[in-house]
Amino acid sequence: MSTAPAAVTRLIEAFAQLPGIGHKTAARLTFFLLRNRLDLAVHLAEALRELKERTRFCSICYNITEEDPCPICSDPGRDHSLICVVEEPLDMLAIEQVGTYKGVYHVLHGVLAPSEGIFVENLRISELLTRVRSGGVREVILATNPTGEGDWTASYLVHQLRPLGVRVTRLGRGLPMGGDLEYADVVTLTRALEGREEM
Amino acid sequence: MHIRYLSLTNFRNYARLELALPERPLLLYGANAQGKTSLLEAIYLLATGSSPLTSLDRQLIRWNAEAEGLPYARVWAEVAHRARRYEIEIALERKALSNGTVRMHKTIRIDRVRKRRTDLAGRLNAVLFMPQDVEIVSGSPAVRRHYLDAALCQVDAAYCTALERYTEALRQRNAVLRHLRDEGGDPAQLAPFEEILARQGVIVAHGRRELVAALSHYAGHIHRQLTGELEWLRLEYRPNFDPAAPPWLKYQMELGLHYSGPPPGVTDEELVEAFRQTLVRRRKEEIARGTTLTGPHRDEMRFIAGSPALGIHEVDLGMYGSRGQQRTAVLALKLAELA
Ligand SMILES: [Zn+2]
Repeated sequence: MSTAPAAVTRLIEAFAQLPGIGHKTAARLTFFLLRNRLDLAVHLAEALRELKERTRFCSICYNITEEDPCPICSDPGRDHSLICVVEEPLDMLAIEQVGTYKGVYHVLHGVLAPSEGIFVENLRISELLTRVRSGGVREVILATNPTGEGDWTASYLVHQLRPLGVRVTRLGRGLPMGGDLEYADVVTLTRALEGREEM
Repeated sequence: MHIRYLSLTNFRNYARLELALPERPLLLYGANAQGKTSLLEAIYLLATGSSPLTSLDRQLIRWNAEAEGLPYARVWAEVAHRARRYEIEIALERKALSNGTVRMHKTIRIDRVRKRRTDLAGRLNAVLFMPQDVEIVSGSPAVRRHYLDAALCQVDAAYCTALERYTEALRQRNAVLRHLRDEGGDPAQLAPFEEILARQGVIVAHGRRELVAALSHYAGHIHRQLTGELEWLRLEYRPNFDPAAPPWLKYQMELGLHYSGPPPGVTDEELVEAFRQTLVRRRKEEIARGTTLTGPHRDEMRFIAGSPALGIHEVDLGMYGSRGQQRTAVLALKLAELA
């Protein structure tokens, strides 16, 4: 690849840093854009720029949003006394797709994984506790993934939340162990939400 | 339980071996470097999922297999157990990654279905006695813990799972301890791991205690026979976490009566809670040290023997035993595994 123009190499290297994309796929994507109609590359470039310029974290739930607070946090039709805690924005989208959940969210942006250098200080946990402490919250649903890391995070949160006098529940056990909310189907997620258990 | 058929491909010095085995004791003999040990190693691998000789799976692949373009080893056996027959297969593959490093892939199959390592428990029970096994008596406590764990994992899948969870939680808790020491932070994030350590640790300690008691019983019996009734042997389990002993126990210990177990009447639930509280209580000290100081990962087992005829009341063989005494003790231990 050393003979390729610098612009090509740069894009390949950028693609290769994305999760799930190896060097080969990165090269294939780059040459696809090169060969294709020019406007696809331009369109993509604009979308990428807007992604960074026009999105930010919601100052209440830390979801990714264009306006702050996000549409969910500013929706008076939703139950603001019910907070569903998720690892990533994608998990939130998965639950929204089910369409039956009427509460609000809190996005942690990760899970407790000490051996990988991720501690509670690296997550949006103190923000969650402040939110609950400021009142008006009846129940917190812990919807971290059913993995080791997800369970550790939930276990920590239970200890922090219980003294604050809120009901703390965990998504039902219908979810496959080691799985990811993001990939759960609607039926499974509905059942998991309905069958949430007191912790 | 016995092996009816054994097949090796590119394993150690075997390019290929197909061997039908009779259902009776078997003596393998031959000059050095003919592959007698490798054959035993292959059987042990099938029984436990790992080699007794090396933790590097890549060493198990025949050294010039890669030069021939097949960085791959396979061990396969047909096992008969009562009326049942099943196949166990372990395949090792050396894969070169694009970034230049090499990764080993181990695939375990029982009756051609992919399984986890813990599923091997109870499928093929193997006891191996090798010259270096004397380390079990004379080596470090880690050697004895490893010995107990390997023996238990062979027959008890629940133990194996508990040990895996314990080990993982220990790794995570130690990472939190170092983080708190170096950068500070919320010590409450130790709690999730302490709960796992306490719950799984009690299962691990329970399994080891029962095994040591059983081994002590059988090995003691065998040892008396091996020494012509001249010497006796006893194994002592010394758990690192021992709940407070009741007063009557202290009295018994002063009388020289051996005891290693939780006080009677104490439930598992109470043990878990006591263990968890100990972990919480020692947090400050453990943060300073950056490591977990309490728990089965620091357990010990000792070999105690005596020979009344020679006027030797009681000695710890690990510290004061002769090489010969240590060897006899290990042989008794290995034979006890068969009981
Ligand atoms: Zn929001």
